[in-house]
Amino acid sequence: MSFEELEHTADVLMRIRGATLSELFSEAGRAMFHVMYGPCEDRGIVRQIALEAEDLESLLVDYLSELLFIADTENLVFCTFDVDLQGNQLSAVVRGEPFDPERHAGGTLIKGISYFGLEIVKEKDVYVVDIIFDI
Amino acid sequence: MFEGINKVGDFEWEVPIGYVPDMRVPGRFFLSQALAETLEEGAVHQLANVATLPGIVKYSLAMPDIHWGYGFPIGGVAAFDRATGVVSPGGVGFDINCGVRLITTPLTEADLAGKKRELIEALFSVVPTGVGAKSTLRVSNSELTDVMVTGARWAVERGLGTQRDLVRCEEEGAMPGADPEAVSAKARQRGVPQLGTLGSGNHFLEIQVAREIVDPEAARVFGITEGQICFMVHCGSRGLGHQVATDHLRVLEKALRKYQIQLPDRQLACAPIDSPEGRAYYGGMACAANYAWANRQVIMHEARKAFMQVFDIDYDEMRLIYDVAHNVAKFERHDVNGVSMEVCVHRKGATRAFGPGAPGIPREYAAVGQPVLIPGSMGTSSYLLHGTEAAMQKTWGSTCHGAGRVLSRSKAKRTVHGKELREQLAKEGILVRAHHDSVLAEEAPEAYKPSHEVVRVVHEAGLSGTVARLEPLGVIKG
Repeated sequence: MSFEELEHTADVLMRIRGATLSELFSEAGRAMFHVMYGPCEDRGIVRQIALEAEDLESLLVDYLSELLFIADTENLVFCTFDVDLQGNQLSAVVRGEPFDPERHAGGTLIKGISYFGLEIVKEKDVYVVDIIFDI
Repeated sequence: MFEGINKVGDFEWEVPIGYVPDMRVPGRFFLSQALAETLEEGAVHQLANVATLPGIVKYSLAMPDIHWGYGFPIGGVAAFDRATGVVSPGGVGFDINCGVRLITTPLTEADLAGKKRELIEALFSVVPTGVGAKSTLRVSNSELTDVMVTGARWAVERGLGTQRDLVRCEEEGAMPGADPEAVSAKARQRGVPQLGTLGSGNHFLEIQVAREIVDPEAARVFGITEGQICFMVHCGSRGLGHQVATDHLRVLEKALRKYQIQLPDRQLACAPIDSPEGRAYYGGMACAANYAWANRQVIMHEARKAFMQVFDIDYDEMRLIYDVAHNVAKFERHDVNGVSMEVCVHRKGATRAFGPGAPGIPREYAAVGQPVLIPGSMGTSSYLLHGTEAAMQKTWGSTCHGAGRVLSRSKAKRTVHGKELREQLAKEGILVRAHHDSVLAEEAPEAYKPSHEVVRVVHEAGLSGTVARLEPLGVIKG
């Protein structure tokens, strides 16, 4: 589906949409890496993530925080996010490439995923969530 | 002004109990009419939300750079009773001990003539900046423990600074209460390669000139003179601090039910100060704060060496005036209705501004109060101020921390072109160096409220006194 940046003076507020919850989580990852690194290609880097949380919003925060951690410590940039959700359990396969200062240093680091106003809602047939990324 | 908010002073507004349900105390914020026009209702709601937290004392406060954040508003200040109150990462933010330090040099603008570009390039080559930046320091895991406990002192003991630097930092560069056990392996992993790096966003290292001395006596005490070249460092605790905040936010969020705390915003997750979860957060936060003081110490050291490389000056001629934190929670003693009380003061995008004679400020500054540093945006003035007795009485010894944004980053990018901005600033004599021009547009001067108006309000409201205005001459950015 899609993500779009909404007006927020201090931080980055993203509205994420997905036809399914899995797609919503995939798009959230894509939005986050778009803010931090800009363009990215799949160059054979693959990482897997498995998580469980008490509710979907916490699972979303944990999932994005885990991606931040991997990107920061392994110098990786991800562009595709295959997410499988079973209840409050997540398993994801993410693909991307090593960080390249020439192509990836024009973005803004995200410091954390905020809980403020974080609520996954279903509008007609689409899941929607607004996420504030602290930058 | 929004409905339901009352004006109670020339620059002071009250948010009464009942503005949102379950407020325990009223809210108070400080604004001029001009700044009121850019106030967001969401920021006032966040201020009111903070007033619902257990153990909050007197008021939920916000400084004139109040704006919409998450959890606390940016510019938010609140004190919690040590015995009955809570501690909350929502009142500190992800970038624990983001802060500022200001250093004077023996140089004047004339000395910089023809050498500014060389200096900027020298600074840019020794201070890692931006997304993906890694430190040239090699720090072991056990050394990282020392960094988290001893802060800036760790750097000084390694030869990256002098003993005198330590005295001129808030908390002397290391706050007590650090508990390395409360810092996860993940946070450590992020912290090791990033010590001595600037980061991105609004962080910077800027060359400035003291253009105007407003309070000659305080300027003399702080050791700054008109026309003097200075430099300012603005950064925080990097990935280590972000991870500490992320980890503990989740723990505290899960503990809410255990302590039967109802919240209007999950980002305000908190726990009693004297609970296992509250103590762990405080201990981890103190580690991150100390890491940030070490980080700014290392960056200052590298910048001093770059100045020495370009100019014939000595290391000791570059004097640290002060280092202030603007995202932190600390135990302090304050007067509450005539009684001295220990409280946990949260400052999120707010600066400590202790007045004359207050404990915890350098003896050499005792007569005028602590130095307060307000960074401007790229291309606009920064300010040196001093703390006041009025701040001690009204705001737990706190003042503003910066200009505060008026444009979102996306709108700034749509209206400002990074390359053009860089060229325009160069015409004004301000050299800007970054890895990409795209990061400049987001931080364009027009994206911020005028820093002089925010500073005027804290001065007029008595929360701090203006000492000097510094103009930018060159900046390196993330």
